[in-house]
Amino acid sequence: MKEFMEAATVLNNRRVGEWKAQGGRVVGYTCSYVPDELFHAAGILPYRIRGIGASETTIGDTYFGPFICSLPKCMLQLAGEGKFDFLDGAIITPGCDSMRRLDECWRKAGDDNPGVLPKFFFHFGVPHKYSDYTIAWFTVEIQRLKAAVEGHFGVVITDEKLAASIRLFNRGRDLLEAFDAFRTAEDPPIGGADALAVIMAGTTMPRERYTELLEGLVGGLGRSASRITGKARLMLVGSANDDVELVCAIEGASAIVVADNLCFGSRFHADRVSEDGDPIEALARRYLAKNECPRVYGEYKARLATLRHKAEQARVDGVVLQNIRFCDLHGSENGLFERDLEAAGIPCIRLEREYGPLVETGRMKMRIDAFIERIRQRRKTA
Amino acid sequence: MRPETREYQFDWMLWSCFSAASKLNAGTPKEYRRMLEYIPSFRGVVETVLDAGEPGQRFIEICATYLDNVINAKSRGQKTAITTFCFSPAIFYAMDIMPICLEVISVMMTFTYKRGTTEFLDYCNEAGYTETSCSSQRGSIGAYLAGLGAEIDMIVTDTPGVCDTNANAFAFAAAYLDKPFFQLDMPPDLTGERSNEYHRADYTALISFLEQHSGKRLDLERLREKLIEVQKQDEMIAELEELARMVPNPLPVVYNFMVYASRFLFAGMPECTRTLESLLALARQNAAEGKSGISGGAERLRSYFCYIDHYVQNLKLWQMLDANGICYQGNILSRSWASNAPHVREFGTQEAAYTLDTANLDGLIDTMAMLNSRMPMIKSIRGPYDAPNMWLQDTLSLATMYNVDFIVYNGTPGCRNTWGMVKLLARDTEKAGFPTFIMYADAFDERVQSWETTRDRFMEFLNVRRLL
Repeated sequence: MKEFMEAATVLNNRRVGEWKAQGGRVVGYTCSYVPDELFHAAGILPYRIRGIGASETTIGDTYFGPFICSLPKCMLQLAGEGKFDFLDGAIITPGCDSMRRLDECWRKAGDDNPGVLPKFFFHFGVPHKYSDYTIAWFTVEIQRLKAAVEGHFGVVITDEKLAASIRLFNRGRDLLEAFDAFRTAEDPPIGGADALAVIMAGTTMPRERYTELLEGLVGGLGRSASRITGKARLMLVGSANDDVELVCAIEGASAIVVADNLCFGSRFHADRVSEDGDPIEALARRYLAKNECPRVYGEYKARLATLRHKAEQARVDGVVLQNIRFCDLHGSENGLFERDLEAAGIPCIRLEREYGPLVETGRMKMRIDAFIERIRQRRKTA
Repeated sequence: MRPETREYQFDWMLWSCFSAASKLNAGTPKEYRRMLEYIPSFRGVVETVLDAGEPGQRFIEICATYLDNVINAKSRGQKTAITTFCFSPAIFYAMDIMPICLEVISVMMTFTYKRGTTEFLDYCNEAGYTETSCSSQRGSIGAYLAGLGAEIDMIVTDTPGVCDTNANAFAFAAAYLDKPFFQLDMPPDLTGERSNEYHRADYTALISFLEQHSGKRLDLERLREKLIEVQKQDEMIAELEELARMVPNPLPVVYNFMVYASRFLFAGMPECTRTLESLLALARQNAAEGKSGISGGAERLRSYFCYIDHYVQNLKLWQMLDANGICYQGNILSRSWASNAPHVREFGTQEAAYTLDTANLDGLIDTMAMLNSRMPMIKSIRGPYDAPNMWLQDTLSLATMYNVDFIVYNGTPGCRNTWGMVKLLARDTEKAGFPTFIMYADAFDERVQSWETTRDRFMEFLNVRRLL
């Protein structure tokens, strides 16, 4: 667990350091729509850019306006402080408006402070819906990214390499699915904070090592006799969360997060990339179709069905619907989820929070405690 | 929401106000003046618009007609579609679907009622929609979520890829009301064959959606007719834009507002043409006489609003500009990106403009797709603000062409997109020599910042920068 936790909580973790020391290149990306396999096939470490550890947003506030999500502001803050100096490149996606404007803000910060901007900087257009012509567009977009990576880094990404990378990442997804079965079990052997660390580590460390660690972990969990019992079982849903501490705050002493629907969490490993046919198109299909984010408009019913299925499978007592302030996509969808899940008999709590140092922990814990109290009373009267 | 607000359909109430206002000029001057005393919360609008002469009268009339169409669409056998200001309504009219434009209705309520749209804004939050979302949709969508407006058949937007909070409002409403939903998606690049193909495919899918949910086939002749009318309207707008370059500008400050509102409500329809003809006639006359459009007759400053306006009750923004001799050189909403627009010709940006081709079905679809993808906001803020043909280039071109003295940004706190880059834009426009003022008000919700504070800060900017 130690290595997972380190990879999940330290920006420039040991494995990244080793990779760089061996002359490896690292390319960061801001959103789960970027196909890791492409970079892996290029011999580049794909790294999901985080906002953890930012203790202020003075640099972020210099470029962004005031009514903007604090996650990209924290990312820019860290970039401005040189915390992402190990990145050789960065990919910006239109995951949401706040995140896509990181493109300009980071570039301008780079103009003002040479060295802040990685030498390879790429705007990756991701459609907002799934259809034959959006897949065609996205396939070309991935080809465009591939060409740019090949051109800038002087590498060749062959179909064979890409197919091998797809197989490796699919193997990781299989392992994470097996891991999820332990996590959601009755009296699970692992808590929610640790589970998030395990999943997130996959976005910040070399894949071969990650797969090796996962195999060990999954095997170990199968043999483990230790069980977590007597806690309220929660599912965590909503805005991007790359902070293990948030889960710790929610779990406290009386709850356990047994499931999630977060892009840094279990949505990251949902579904597989087809191992047949054109690998680029296969990536386009998986990455566009299977990341269930509210940025894909008009798909609420499908996402509600996913949530209900997950809640049922994990036998959750309640759902924590959280959003970062100014995240209207998750915030609004949380309102719909609350209406429909409550109607289906699943207790929900909506939490709006700031990203970054958990200055609101007290308020949040108080509300979570009240929520757990509600769940317990419900159990008693059931 | 107050119980009394639930007593009447909100759109009927609004129609009632505009319908009555459209008849005010039918009385004697004495009757008109006396009537104003009875509508203290609306008189500023009435006076600002009707004082513009025949164009103002026509404008109030088309607002009343539009609202009449909204409330009576179903009884007239039409389908209704909730849509957005940056979506050309011509396709809906061509398919006999009544477009209900949320933002324009929010504007109407904001400047007409003392309470603005506050109850509907807040009702959205009760329904689960975030309070940080844009007030332009939220102001009227709350009424529909509460079941206080015309019956809706479908929801259509074209802002994915451009504005999350806009697209999200429509997606939320579709899920909440369980209505069919369609989105036109915008790739980050405006130009190039790849984007064109994408727009074309997306627009073709839209037509299928509209046919499916309206039960009617697209009538090509009717669409052609609407697009020929759009072309005629664009030519008139181009002439208005050209006239606005004169010093003094012969256009009254409220003209831009009337131009874009007319287009959003009735593009491709004779109602819009008649209003534009009327605006143009008066502007030509002023130009021929060398008269300023400012009511006091003296043009002191020329302003360009790089985003939207402030729709506080009684159109106080326009009154403030006019009272201070500040000429209004338009905003992002009043621009037409037709290939015949003067700024398009002058800055050689034909590639980023649209051309009307009514020859055959492919031409019509292409035209609609290109027109729609170049609507205000859709065109300028879809990609990086400093990319070719995007916000910075458009702003600097127009500010230069109109020889403006300063640039103003106003929006809503819900606008993630522009607030994500407006500081950068302002830095660049300042470097280019244009004093730039960022307003922190909400164009649709005075509770965010009172009009008095907004006005004082605006005037403070002009004074501190020694513009006045």
